Amino acid sequence: MDFNLTDEQQMLRDGARRFFREHYGFEQRRALLASESGFSAECWARYAELGWLALGQPEESGGWACSFVETAILLEEFGRALALEPYLSSAVLCGYILGRCSDARAGGAALQEMMKGRTRLALAHEEPGDRYDADFPGLVATRRGDGFLLQGTKSCVLDAPAADRLIVSAQPGGENGLALFLVDAATPGLRMNAYPLVDGTRAADIVLDGVRVPAACLLAGGAAARDLLHEALDRATLARVAMALGAMESVLQLTADYLKTRVQFGQPIGRFQALQHRLAEMFVEVQETRSILCCGLAQMGGPAAQRSAMVSAAKVVAVNAARIVGGQAIQLHGSIAMTAEYAAGHYYEHLLAFEKIHGDADWHLDRFARLRGTHAAVVHA
Amino acid sequence: MHFEPSPGDAVFRAEVRQFIRDHLPGEIARRSYICSQPPDIVDYRRWQRILHDRGWGAPHWPVEHGGTGWTAMQQHLFMEEVYRADAIDYGWQGTHMIGPVLIAFGSEAQKRRFLPPMLRGEEIWCQGFSEPNAGSDLASLRTRAELEGDEWVIHGQKIWTSDASEADWGFFLVRTDPAAKPQRGISLLLVPMNAAGIRIRPIEVLNGGRDLNEVFLDGVRVPRDHLVGEAGQGWTYAKYLLEKERTASAYLYRNKRELEKAKEIARGEHAGGVRLIDTPEFARKIARVEADLLALEWSVLRILAGEKNLHDAQAIVSALKIRGSEMQQRVAELQIDALGPRALRVFRQGDCSAEVIDGTPLWPAYIPGRLGQFLYARAATLYGGTREVQKNIIARRAFGL
Repeated sequence: MDFNLTDEQQMLRDGARRFFREHYGFEQRRALLASESGFSAECWARYAELGWLALGQPEESGGWACSFVETAILLEEFGRALALEPYLSSAVLCGYILGRCSDARAGGAALQEMMKGRTRLALAHEEPGDRYDADFPGLVATRRGDGFLLQGTKSCVLDAPAADRLIVSAQPGGENGLALFLVDAATPGLRMNAYPLVDGTRAADIVLDGVRVPAACLLAGGAAARDLLHEALDRATLARVAMALGAMESVLQLTADYLKTRVQFGQPIGRFQALQHRLAEMFVEVQETRSILCCGLAQMGGPAAQRSAMVSAAKVVAVNAARIVGGQAIQLHGSIAMTAEYAAGHYYEHLLAFEKIHGDADWHLDRFARLRGTHAAVVHA
Repeated sequence: MHFEPSPGDAVFRAEVRQFIRDHLPGEIARRSYICSQPPDIVDYRRWQRILHDRGWGAPHWPVEHGGTGWTAMQQHLFMEEVYRADAIDYGWQGTHMIGPVLIAFGSEAQKRRFLPPMLRGEEIWCQGFSEPNAGSDLASLRTRAELEGDEWVIHGQKIWTSDASEADWGFFLVRTDPAAKPQRGISLLLVPMNAAGIRIRPIEVLNGGRDLNEVFLDGVRVPRDHLVGEAGQGWTYAKYLLEKERTASAYLYRNKRELEKAKEIARGEHAGGVRLIDTPEFARKIARVEADLLALEWSVLRILAGEKNLHDAQAIVSALKIRGSEMQQRVAELQIDALGPRALRVFRQGDCSAEVIDGTPLWPAYIPGRLGQFLYARAATLYGGTREVQKNIIARRAFGL
């Protein structure tokens, strides 16, 4: 066990921090928010050059082989900068699924293109009314000739508007199961209704009306598909915890700096103990978030139940922290944080989206309670 | 950064677990299970002697003074096993606090005289820091000691002194230079608690315990060589003593064990015919605390494993103290909530009664002691620097405010 970064990990962190300092000034970011796509295609191309899109992928696929810790390190920097590119959907979530299905021909090819920055992906999984429990999709896949016909609806698919391909979860016709398909976003019968989310993420509701996909686009089926999906979602959830941690670290520092410069009653407001204590409480929350992230990272390669339990614990702790840190950041700043012209509110909006994506605190708390069970402890009769 | 455990850890844990299973007397474990703090002093002496005979009397001390040479992680595993089995935490005031200070700053004679009986559990120590008018503002303490010939003569009063009645020795912060700045004029003296001029008045606390005391010092004389280190350095030593145990303030091991007890209660108690632990409401309550406790555990591990911090180390320790102390209260609240109205019955300390009707224990062993623990936990955010003082430290150290 070692909590200190290796030289390579340190280089990754330093490189990312430098990159975002240069490319993610507040005004640069605001311009991206207001743009059509909501992110920077130039940055995306740089991510490919830097190898970030291949992070954690197996070496034999041409990836940058490393543990999930590296992903967390990078995402923490994304969070500090509130970077807007749909990195998580493509490289962390869909990339992982493709890497595990590389024997499916279509999957292997898509992974290669994703790592080179030529294609972006999104996971189309949740459906209207699911509220995170999407193990039994209503979207049906029926065999048709040597391919499949997909029929159904997906809701709030993150990063779909920028995606060239979608990984779609479906119920194979007649079976109460789950299968994953790789679907070209331009396939006839696929319609997207795109909209922005509060943090600037672009999402879409998607209707697949008689969408035909060739057999080679079946990525996984049966229990293997469900396990893979759960694992990929656990990884994405924890990656977002890392991102939220970066955002919290950043807004905490922003708030501390503000308390030193804002003068009221003839002195910097940071001299007031009531405000100092609020800041200290935010600090404690950020510390605990970093700790629970480590707890989750430690279980990433472990048995599924243990892994999911710890990811849920991480989400529960991080959401609670995000509410406190984000809310107090606004309160300590005062009205300036209510404006879109100042960063504090943007962090708040990012943290709000973080709360609800891949399961909210209530959902994860129930999953954690269920998975932790009630194992017996030592009793002295 | 990686999280692979060291290869020997599992074997080490098994060895510790086996030793405790073989050597911890059952009645000690039972008493400790029911009334977890403060531990019974007789039980403490007995268990400390058992650990000492195994060479584990003070695992964190240097080997040449009777320590073990264990890694921080091994010490962590040891403590987990101690609490898991309801054994007794080794002497807080002694081996944890004054022991390391003597090792670092004491004279050779002091080390020879005081360390071995401390290690064997033969001499109990108490800490004389707080005074009626020097609580959070400890540096304003007024108990004074003056050198007369070869003796220090002490006048003053201490308060909240745990175990003063049982203790053989106390380490006292006293003012030896009234002219110096508050922190500079303080020295650390070792005082035999049976010295003439010492009067001890036990204070009855909310949970019925009497382990806290007022200590009056009226012309108490101790030899000159009972001064630790240099005169005027007492504040530095006190800070060292508190910083030496950086992760202790998380109360991690106690918190983990008490959470297990809360679950045990929730398995035993029913509401509307359903085990409390099977109701979604209570399962969530437990899960919420358990998730935060995991975070606390990893906060401890980060420090134990020597993380190079992004933030000031002292601020991080204060954050740990805040969370660890609040966690004691939250876990105790879980227990009380799980017990419902049965939590209110007052048991005498050490009362292990389990009245049985028709073979069913009416007052199962998980009930006595929980009310006392709950009330005692209110002090967790007070002692060792109040929660508010810890927040001041964070604001100053992490943000320069």
